[in-house]
Amino acid sequence: MMENLYLVARIADTRVALRSRAINSVVTVGTPVEVPAAPPHVAGLFALRSRVFTLIDPHVVIGLPAVPVAPGQRVIVVDVAEHGYALLADEIEDVCFIEAPETRIAGKLLPGWARVADAMIEHEGASLLVVDPSHFISLPALKAA
Amino acid sequence: MVQPQFLGRTGTAMDDLLNDFLAETAEILAEAGGAIVAWEADPADRAQLDAIFRFVHTIKGSSGFLALPRVTALSHAAEDALDQVRRGHRTPNAALVSGVLGIIDRLNALCAALGQDGVEPAGDDRDVIGVLSEEQAASANAPFAVAGVPLRRDDDFGADLQSWRSIRVPLPLLDSVMTGVTDIVLARNEFARMLRESGADPSLIASFDRLSDSIAGMRQSVSQMRMQRIDKLFAPLPRIVRDLAQDLGKKIAFQTSGGEVELDREMMENIRDPLIHIVRNAIDHGIEPLEERVAAGKDITATISVSARQSGNQIEIEIGDDGRGLSPDTLVAKAIAARVLTANEARALAPKEKLNLIFRPGFSTAAKVTSVSGRGVGMDIVKANVEKIGGVVELRNEEGRGLTILLRVPMTLTIISGLMVRAAGQYFAIPRGAVREILLESGDTVRIDRVGGGEFATVRGEQYPLLRLEAVLGRGRHHGDDVDDRALVIVRPGQGQSYALSVAAIHDHEELVIKPAAPMIMATGLYAGTTLPDNGRPVLLLDVQGMLAAAAIDASEAGRSHDRMAESDAELLAARNAAQLLLFREAGGRVRGVRLSVIERVEEVPASALFESAGRVQAQIGEDIFAVHAAKTPASDGTQKLLRLHDGCSVLCYPIAEVIDIVRLPDAVQPSVAPGLIAGVVLVGGEPVELIDPYWLMEQYAGGAAALADRLPLCRIADDHDGWGQNFLAPILRSAGYRVAPDGDDADEAHDVLLCLAEDGEAPDEATNDIPVIRLRNSIAATGPGDDTVYRYDRQALLDALRRQVGGQGR
Repeated sequence: MMENLYLVARIADTRVALRSRAINSVVTVGTPVEVPAAPPHVAGLFALRSRVFTLIDPHVVIGLPAVPVAPGQRVIVVDVAEHGYALLADEIEDVCFIEAPETRIAGKLLPGWARVADAMIEHEGASLLVVDPSHFISLPALKAA
Repeated sequence: MVQPQFLGRTGTAMDDLLNDFLAETAEILAEAGGAIVAWEADPADRAQLDAIFRFVHTIKGSSGFLALPRVTALSHAAEDALDQVRRGHRTPNAALVSGVLGIIDRLNALCAALGQDGVEPAGDDRDVIGVLSEEQAASANAPFAVAGVPLRRDDDFGADLQSWRSIRVPLPLLDSVMTGVTDIVLARNEFARMLRESGADPSLIASFDRLSDSIAGMRQSVSQMRMQRIDKLFAPLPRIVRDLAQDLGKKIAFQTSGGEVELDREMMENIRDPLIHIVRNAIDHGIEPLEERVAAGKDITATISVSARQSGNQIEIEIGDDGRGLSPDTLVAKAIAARVLTANEARALAPKEKLNLIFRPGFSTAAKVTSVSGRGVGMDIVKANVEKIGGVVELRNEEGRGLTILLRVPMTLTIISGLMVRAAGQYFAIPRGAVREILLESGDTVRIDRVGGGEFATVRGEQYPLLRLEAVLGRGRHHGDDVDDRALVIVRPGQGQSYALSVAAIHDHEELVIKPAAPMIMATGLYAGTTLPDNGRPVLLLDVQGMLAAAAIDASEAGRSHDRMAESDAELLAARNAAQLLLFREAGGRVRGVRLSVIERVEEVPASALFESAGRVQAQIGEDIFAVHAAKTPASDGTQKLLRLHDGCSVLCYPIAEVIDIVRLPDAVQPSVAPGLIAGVVLVGGEPVELIDPYWLMEQYAGGAAALADRLPLCRIADDHDGWGQNFLAPILRSAGYRVAPDGDDADEAHDVLLCLAEDGEAPDEATNDIPVIRLRNSIAATGPGDDTVYRYDRQALLDALRRQVGGQGR
């Protein structure tokens, strides 16, 4: 059953579905601590239950300008390679079962999205991108260089 | 030294006992290997002998209890042999040591099998035990060589019993205790903050402080539980060096120091393999064969040293050898050959980057893959393993003189004492261990100079490069910061380095639980991790070494201790000037010696390069032919080693079987009665050694010896603008028996004749210095009767002119 459970959210101005097993939790953050000289998609650090998490701004990963973090903003907490990260979310909509199958992405996406999206899924009459949060952790190679 | 592969089974009480035995035995065997090698070096070292004896005795005792007949028999045999030595009934020698080492190897193999199958495999150990007892028969009548009164067999265990009184705890359990304590410390910090904010009454705060103190004490104990002396890591090394040096026919003195430094157990596990690999590499590739060392004027016994020291929150392990070092150009050539690199990329490399090629995957420095280090584990794996635990690998290369590899690893990844500082409106932590001093920037003792765009801080006469933390982090100064608060932190990131870090303000000291930051944050090189202090806001721990690299500043303290360097140089020179004697073995087996200073180098030539001519043996080496001191050509068909003796103008080759050693020439020489090949006899290590008389030897061959190249007249070609001189003229001159110095070569040696290629060129200065000049012209016809120039394609006229000018020395 867990396979069909998705978190529907709006990140980087786009509605997406995230597979729930990839997600640790959804929390709110205060003002994060800046990390000088870090790559541009690192929005800062924050503490949660004695752990330090690295805040990631998906906008930058997709190729959009960075957005400031608003206090109380909700973030999606994920664990990638034993490190804790949180993706800034514009809006958290719902956690729900989606019975429809994941389908191949047939059309052409913007390069930023093409890199992070795994599949498409049909939900309440709209098509959502299924994205893997771990793809947001690293910047595309050409941008990092 | 628990080898995890031994610990295969768990379950019943018997299995637990077996596992305990295996873990303990693995540890003992590793230590015993090192102790035996040390004992071999100094057989009179009673303490080492006793230690080894205790090791095998312990194994015998426990194995008897567990009913492991093979282990018992093996350890009993070793114990017996060692006891004979202890009682003075037997002389320790190389064969005995090898025998005991053989038993230790067999025990290791048995334990590995035990760990896997849980039962002792069937087999026969008479081969290894036999080595010991055979030897015993042969040396039954040997004299009593070991000093000391034989002691009763079991009376000296009491003293060391205490050190064995410990229990074994599985690592995961230890780890979970550590995590637990870490969480307690974090919770305490948070609780402390809430207490302060709530304005709790003093009695409550007092009892909280008591709790806080005991937590601090517990944290201390838990970190200590995980710490081990680094000599556990060093213990197997002497054995590895001994065996490998023996296999490769090299002489190596191995030293370790700093064994008392303590390191987190997990760190230790992670650097064991890299360390062993580096040591093996040093023996196999770094240390040259004996002859090469002699040729390079080095001590024949190579030195490999491994040392550890604590530097702040880090442990530095230095593995140094005095071998050939790395050659950047050879590395590049090999990298290109191995297709790790293209020729284009290679050109763009800085010297340091060339050295770093050895860290590329798929790169092997060995010309051929040897059985020793060619096992598919490269320096890339070493680097990856060290970096995995937050360490760094550094190379310090002195081409021709040795290579030092420095591993710098954090002592522990857990809790350190940190200094909190502020810059650009936020807090950062600096490991307290790296901080030497804290000063106010506006203080009287501090002077700050801005010179050529750089900043320097002078504190009580000592100068430091100055880094401003905001600049390092690429941030501007925060508007709220008061310039009067600015402080200088004198940071000492490692041995021999220091700098001044300017920060907006100093906050306080705190016990910090350090966690690694996300990889992309670590990749900036500025941070060593993250931490959560009392206020609950994450703080970045600065990487005091990485900031230096990011700022590209040379913070080495070298130059401040100038006097000391000059002193050690002088010492070195004095040591070199002392007369040294090269000991060698002749084909007949006789050991002779010759002063090292008369040896130009040791050659190894194919036997076919030696030939007889005009009743004398000669050797062809490269392009030259030299006289050989031999009655007839040696019969061997392999290669022949030759000492090249050099008296300043001629060379004589002296055939030898092998080089043995270089020793200081003893003062007392018993001279021979009549002059001859042997000048006298000296005692080296109690053995008489015949001293070769190079004066007599050279005299015998002085007439027939080939003249040395530097006696040939030297021509210099001037005004060679189009390269005609070097490409066309020089080969003719060389074949006619002259040497040619290229145009513009300011060699010290005065040339004998100048060939001037420009017809109308001004007479060079040399013309006034009595150095003859021959001018060459481009046209066949001379311009007039007074024209003393030579047409440049008239070979005969040119050579005639040369012969006239330099006194007919040319052929």
